[in-house]
Amino acid sequence: MKEASIRGKIQLTLLRIIAYTILVFLTILCLFFFYLMIINATRSNAQLATGFTLLPKGNFFVNLKNAWNDTSINIPRGMLNSLIIALSSAVITTYFSALTAYGVHVYEFKGKKLVFTFIMAIMMIPSQVSALGFLQLMNKWNLTNNYIPLIVPGIAAPVVFFYMKQYMESVLPLEVIDAARVDGSNEFRTFNTIVLPMLKPAIAVQMIFSFVSSWNNYFIPALLLDKAELKTVPIMIAQLRSADYSKFDMGKVYMLILLAILPVLLIYIILSKSIIKGVTAGSVKG
Amino acid sequence: MEKKSRTVKRRRSGVSYAKWGYIFIAPFFLAYFFFTLVPQFLTIYNSLFENYRVGLTQVGPNWVGLDNYVALFTPEADGLVRILKYSSNTAILWVLGAVPQFVIALLLAVIFTSYRLNIKGQGFFKTVIYMPNLIMAAAFSMLFYTLFSNVGPIQIMLENAGIVDHSFDFFSFRITVRGMIALMNFLMWFGNTTIVLMAGIMGIDQSLFESATIDGANTIQVFFRITMPLLMPIFVYCLITAMIGGIQMFDVPQVLTNGRGEPNEMTRTLVMYLNGYLRNKNYGMAGAISVIIFVITGILGGIVYKMLSAQYKEPKRHRDRGKGGNVQ
Amino acid sequence: MKKLIAIVLCVLMMVSAVACASKPAATESQTGTETKAAQGKVFNIYAWNEEFKGFFEKYYKVPEGVTVNWIINPSDGGVYQQKLDEALLNQATAADDDKVDMFLAEADYIGKYVNSDYTMGIDKIGYKNADTMYEYTIKAATDDKGVCKGVSFQCCPAAVIYRKSIAKDVLGTDVPAEVQAAIDTWDKFDAVAAKAKEKGYYMTASFAETFRTFSNNCTMPWVDANNNIQFDPMITAWIDQTDKYIQNGYTLTAGVWDQEKTNEMFKTGKTMCFFGPAWYYNFCMTNAMDPENGCVGDWSIVKGPQAYFWGGTWLLAATGSDNTEMLKDIFETFTINEEVCENLVKNENQYPNNTKIAEKFANDPTYGNTAILDGQNDIAVFAELAKDIKWENHTNYDQLLNEGLQNKLQEYFKGNVDKDTAMKNFYNYVKETYANLNVPQA
Repeated sequence: MKEASIRGKIQLTLLRIIAYTILVFLTILCLFFFYLMIINATRSNAQLATGFTLLPKGNFFVNLKNAWNDTSINIPRGMLNSLIIALSSAVITTYFSALTAYGVHVYEFKGKKLVFTFIMAIMMIPSQVSALGFLQLMNKWNLTNNYIPLIVPGIAAPVVFFYMKQYMESVLPLEVIDAARVDGSNEFRTFNTIVLPMLKPAIAVQMIFSFVSSWNNYFIPALLLDKAELKTVPIMIAQLRSADYSKFDMGKVYMLILLAILPVLLIYIILSKSIIKGVTAGSVKG
Repeated sequence: MEKKSRTVKRRRSGVSYAKWGYIFIAPFFLAYFFFTLVPQFLTIYNSLFENYRVGLTQVGPNWVGLDNYVALFTPEADGLVRILKYSSNTAILWVLGAVPQFVIALLLAVIFTSYRLNIKGQGFFKTVIYMPNLIMAAAFSMLFYTLFSNVGPIQIMLENAGIVDHSFDFFSFRITVRGMIALMNFLMWFGNTTIVLMAGIMGIDQSLFESATIDGANTIQVFFRITMPLLMPIFVYCLITAMIGGIQMFDVPQVLTNGRGEPNEMTRTLVMYLNGYLRNKNYGMAGAISVIIFVITGILGGIVYKMLSAQYKEPKRHRDRGKGGNVQ
Repeated sequence: MKKLIAIVLCVLMMVSAVACASKPAATESQTGTETKAAQGKVFNIYAWNEEFKGFFEKYYKVPEGVTVNWIINPSDGGVYQQKLDEALLNQATAADDDKVDMFLAEADYIGKYVNSDYTMGIDKIGYKNADTMYEYTIKAATDDKGVCKGVSFQCCPAAVIYRKSIAKDVLGTDVPAEVQAAIDTWDKFDAVAAKAKEKGYYMTASFAETFRTFSNNCTMPWVDANNNIQFDPMITAWIDQTDKYIQNGYTLTAGVWDQEKTNEMFKTGKTMCFFGPAWYYNFCMTNAMDPENGCVGDWSIVKGPQAYFWGGTWLLAATGSDNTEMLKDIFETFTINEEVCENLVKNENQYPNNTKIAEKFANDPTYGNTAILDGQNDIAVFAELAKDIKWENHTNYDQLLNEGLQNKLQEYFKGNVDKDTAMKNFYNYVKETYANLNVPQA
């Protein structure tokens, strides 16, 4: 009996060592490239041409100044543009998804089941497969070089809808709505003043996710926008890969990449707990 | 009197609340109609026409029926069918990233949820492994390009260490370029999958694990007989969403190879192919490729879902019976 | 019903709020008291890089009250042309202030715009070509009917720029006349390449470094009258030469614009020769001017084995522009204004499109380029070459065919694919880019 328990202990310790080794290895793997990026953002072009170093150099603010003031890649403008688009689309996406989910969750109407199945079915369809028609239509409506096509379609976001629907099932008793009706609140007001506040955690999480995915979006914006003052961050970053920018100081390039991911990184560092919770909460029900 | 009328009113309007359902879902369907459904039909419609632009001159649209599809699948002189090559590139790139993604994610999910191991610092590890998921794919890819380019720090380090000489180039080999793309996809997604699978494992009734351990089942048996079958729905969900993400693969290989899919177009994905035609304003061909991607998405989603749910029907029934027994 | 209206209103409000937020720049023209005068208040310029923008902001005084918008897209992969085409096709329906007023075009595709109705004759805006302009720059901007649609602010004779210290090591001399004598034919150039290799140097730093020297001496266009792709003997000669250079290790597999190549211009570089015109200094040689690691003054310039020109930026007048006076003004500033042309040489390392100014510098014994060269009079070298530039055999497709050929062959030179596959990939690229062109059946 004793022997067995000792053996068990040794086994457990071994398992723990393996587990921690795996975890540490993956942690290093995840951070390594970003660490290199930050280090390289502190080095000058000539220093970068000499290769690899693990310690930062003193060129951070020079690179920052160069990157920030560059006229061909106007990164402050790009960040502002991306911010405008990402914030508006986060608000629109979450609000209307909650609205739609509420419509399906609370009301009984003909075809409700069909509506739900339909939204579930279109959840799988990638946006690229209708990109061609989308571009044609936007061109026809004179909406190229405009942010509307990047924001308004967010009203129909099946994934966010699904999350909201799941969340409502767990936190939104129909009695609350009945009570509001008794008090004479109209349906729209009930939703805005009573239901929305109850959904706050879900809305917060989905706003973050919508913000991030809009901030990182490249395919459609790159096809829609060409005016310098309208370009978003991902378009600018992808442009760095073009021949015309090969004469760029590499320190500046690393700094631009750093600036491109910095806002999302900051949001994540502050809110990582609730973000990680949000990944699981609505994903699927077994 | 007033009170009574209000109840009546409420009851009467209770019938007509249905209209609110329609009103609340209307914006969704309007937006969907104008920004997705109409474009979807336009895309399909376009695929049946010769419609392209050469510089400032527009050619077509001329009705050509299925000619664009025929052109896509007509082999070149040496038998090469480019769209099949790009499809298999896409599939290979996805598999290369997804296999480690799911294996590692399952492993981590088990490690994190194991009471025996009782891992400390879970919050930290989870925060770190999820982080790459939020990084802009274009920026991540640009970063990889600069780091691995033949004048980048990693190459220089390898040269200085005498491992490779200057003629070595990460972007010259199928295996290295595909490896880089797979590594990026893996890094960006394994944390996400881990967290979702973890939630799934934690949702499993703990008494099942306990009774299995008491019955003398070892860790591996527990994993394959209990954890995996009960995790299956969530696993399938993750797999399908990952696969749909894989079909859309674009930002990473596009930026990494500047749209060229080097070497020898071995890293050119379907959406990169589509993007080329969209940029060149060849709407006929772009339409045909879009329809093909649309069809592949549908088929794959359906097959995987059916296949995996059928395979694990057996253990599921066991569980149900077992549970029923407990209640009795 | 009321509520439905409320919802709709709410949606509309949000949409309009968003629309306003997204267009901060457009409001200006609406608020100003716009007397529908002949001249517009907004001047839109399409360009593919910052080069001309820099000169424009430095040397051109924008009339008061006019806002200049730059719409800049990279030329790589044809993005610039695609975006410009889209804008020009929408020109007729665009609001006055959104119309393209002027756009820049490169030698490789200027014909496409010159021979279209989207550009207007410069006589319409009251500009007359000065007789100080280089003939070929006028010919390039002139359509089939003889109407000239724009001007170039530069002339682009190209030469060989070499590292003096390496030439001294390889040839025993760094004197331009003697270096030129050693490389004045391709055969001699090859022989020097072999010598350089022995000493541990590269002759050129990119497999495509000499591409323009061959391609701009072609005797037939890329595409014939029946839309068939054709390979000029010059292009084939370039491929053969490069093949040899790669095999013998005389050059690197980097592209002309790649960082691997530009890093060869650092002090630590091992490459002797670079091929380019005057704009090459600013555009490709920034590493040579690096304060820490550069090698200013270690460079000289000679004609090289074969005369050629490379690139050039033309300013074209877009049909429908409501800023014709400003267009005329800009054209004059950068072609006729002698002070500006002189400054372009002195401060910007350019070769001006003004024979009078070029001659003046070429014959000025006190002038020398010290920004990058050792004080040699490079204008004198360029002036000699500029006389012989001819404008012929250009097509609308040149940019993307040249770029595509280089990209696909680069894979061959790197050893990723065999030559056949590289050519097949090139033909497939041509079909994808230009559905109207016919490629040889492989």
